[in-house]
Amino acid sequence: MDFDWTADDVAYRNDVRNFLAEQLPPGWNGYDKHDLPRYKKEAKAFCTALAEKGWLTQSWPKEYGGGDASPWRAAILSEELWPIGEPRGSQYMNANWIGPAIMFAGTPEQKAYHIGRMSKGDVFWCQGFSEPDAGSDLPALRTRAVRDGDEYVINGSKIWTSHVGIADYIFLLVRTDPDAPKREGISILLFPIDTPGLDIRHIDGFVGEQAFHHLIFEDVRVPVSCRLGEENRGWPIVQRALSFERIGAAHYETARLILEDAVATAQRNGRIEDPEVQTRIGEVTALIEAARMLTYKVVDLRAQGLPPTADSNVARVAQTTALQEVGMLAADLHGSASLESGNDADVRNVLAYSVAAGATEMQLDQIASRWLDLPRSK
Amino acid sequence: MELRLNEIQQQIVDSIDRIVDRAGGTAHLVKVVDESGFDRAMFDELAQAGFLGLALDLSPLDATIATERLAYHGAYVPMGATALVYPMVTGKAAAGPVALAPGDDGAIFRYGQNAKHILIDDGDEALLLDVADGDVTVVDNDRAGTPLARLAGNAKGRATSLGAGSGDKLRQWWRLAIAAEAAGTVRGALKLTARYLTDRIQFGRPLATFQTLQHRMSHIAVQSEGAYWLAMEAAARPDSPSHAAIAATRAIMAARLAFRETHQMHGAMGFTREYPLHLWSMKLPALQQELGGATGHARAVTAERWAA
Repeated sequence: MDFDWTADDVAYRNDVRNFLAEQLPPGWNGYDKHDLPRYKKEAKAFCTALAEKGWLTQSWPKEYGGGDASPWRAAILSEELWPIGEPRGSQYMNANWIGPAIMFAGTPEQKAYHIGRMSKGDVFWCQGFSEPDAGSDLPALRTRAVRDGDEYVINGSKIWTSHVGIADYIFLLVRTDPDAPKREGISILLFPIDTPGLDIRHIDGFVGEQAFHHLIFEDVRVPVSCRLGEENRGWPIVQRALSFERIGAAHYETARLILEDAVATAQRNGRIEDPEVQTRIGEVTALIEAARMLTYKVVDLRAQGLPPTADSNVARVAQTTALQEVGMLAADLHGSASLESGNDADVRNVLAYSVAAGATEMQLDQIASRWLDLPRSK
Repeated sequence: MELRLNEIQQQIVDSIDRIVDRAGGTAHLVKVVDESGFDRAMFDELAQAGFLGLALDLSPLDATIATERLAYHGAYVPMGATALVYPMVTGKAAAGPVALAPGDDGAIFRYGQNAKHILIDDGDEALLLDVADGDVTVVDNDRAGTPLARLAGNAKGRATSLGAGSGDKLRQWWRLAIAAEAAGTVRGALKLTARYLTDRIQFGRPLATFQTLQHRMSHIAVQSEGAYWLAMEAAARPDSPSHAAIAATRAIMAARLAFRETHQMHGAMGFTREYPLHLWSMKLPALQQELGGATGHARAVTAERWAA
């Protein structure tokens, strides 16, 4: 075991910080997501600059425009970008799992078309997963794609979809065999979000600038060549992709910033003198640091070239728990100021983390069966 | 960053596994607790194999790995105090078992009656007592958990000071020893409970197939795994008392959860002497008291990180 960063890693982190200081205005803390065209333009400019540095898809193999960099580099980049508001926009998904899924299962044509664009930083994706009747039970999805010659005809709907407002492409899960067991009739389709027949409806969220979308598919026609992987064999590709998604974001760094801000407030208003407050700060610090180490464990496994394990579920639960506990503590320490919309300690901001990328209950199921080796529920 | 055990660390783990196995494993350990709560034979074997010198001969991380592994097996030797705390505080290897005691009069602490040396937390200073007859009195623990004792009235007066500031040093390494022992103990209890829930049939199916139990088990797993890695990281950062306090905080929070939950999930069987859950669970109450418990560790984190 060696817990120290290599000299190269330390130098890289400094380079990233210098780059951010050049690229972003001082004190930048996220895009104004009400102004979508501007958000997209700025995120694209940032990602293009990141790509020019060779950092946007640095962990990808060289043959796909990556840099064969160690997964630790991607972790460092994530630690620097997430807490300040993720200037990559939704392109972090491209680097973390959409690109790798296409490299894993794509045709030469798909790779040539999509991978190059992703590594240049000028394309945004969204993931069409959840449906009105398939949330945590994702394999129960019903959006149908029926073969008609060289095309699929898609009917159904997706809901609570993030990042649609700036997306160019969608990574869509569809049912291609309604008679097969539910995990064995799912396929993946990749196509432009502006394909005719796809109606996008906005769903207002009540937390900050969060917005979701309801996507209605009515006889949407896409070429069969849009399919990723074999027909009805999409689920294993998704499972693999999600194991990367779970820890792609360095939420523990976000939690650390919330905590530092809350402690500074407690120092100003005197709450820090309260022994109970001191205890809670210490406990939350331990939760955040545990989430960091458990995430590092997953990065380490990946750096060794090992396949994904349920360690990513363990890390995910630790991350979301830490974020929610720090959110509650910060709200307490900021007092009534935390009730005002836009306040950094707005406790509502931390609620969604244990729902996104697989609800905590799904993570706990995975830990029970794949980490503790308990027999599955009936 | 490289989190795999290196070759030597893997040998440490394998060698401890062999020592516990040769001694007779869990059945032997249950007997030890029934008789005295201190495994003299295992301690001597560890000493002979060079484990007491690990922290100085190799590194504190290696001694922490050994401490955690013994706790994982439910072994009854004061490994953290002897192989980690004593050498890191005094700069030399211990000549026999070490106990760690609070400076407060009448306070109860672990392994006092088995110790050759006792390190005492006396605030700013750490005190070292080479134990003589009459220095400790035995405290009854109903033959469950580690042996307990108190310092006799005049014992502290016989101890020698390790100098100004040595108290902080003692508490740092003590916290790391607590973290390693608690993390290992919780991992051991979790493993035993997973096996029990898998084997135990109720309502016509293994208890482990009930989602309500699965989720509770998974929460313990998240906490114990976090505690393990924080303990290892703290061991690799000997100049950072805050890392030791963070590790102890997480480990004792995990211990509080595991103590209650592993017993609850075992039902009545968990309270018998013949079933070994108590090997792990009954160690936790005394461990949770040391250095102010979770509250004490958490406040130490805040003091170290934010000078509060």
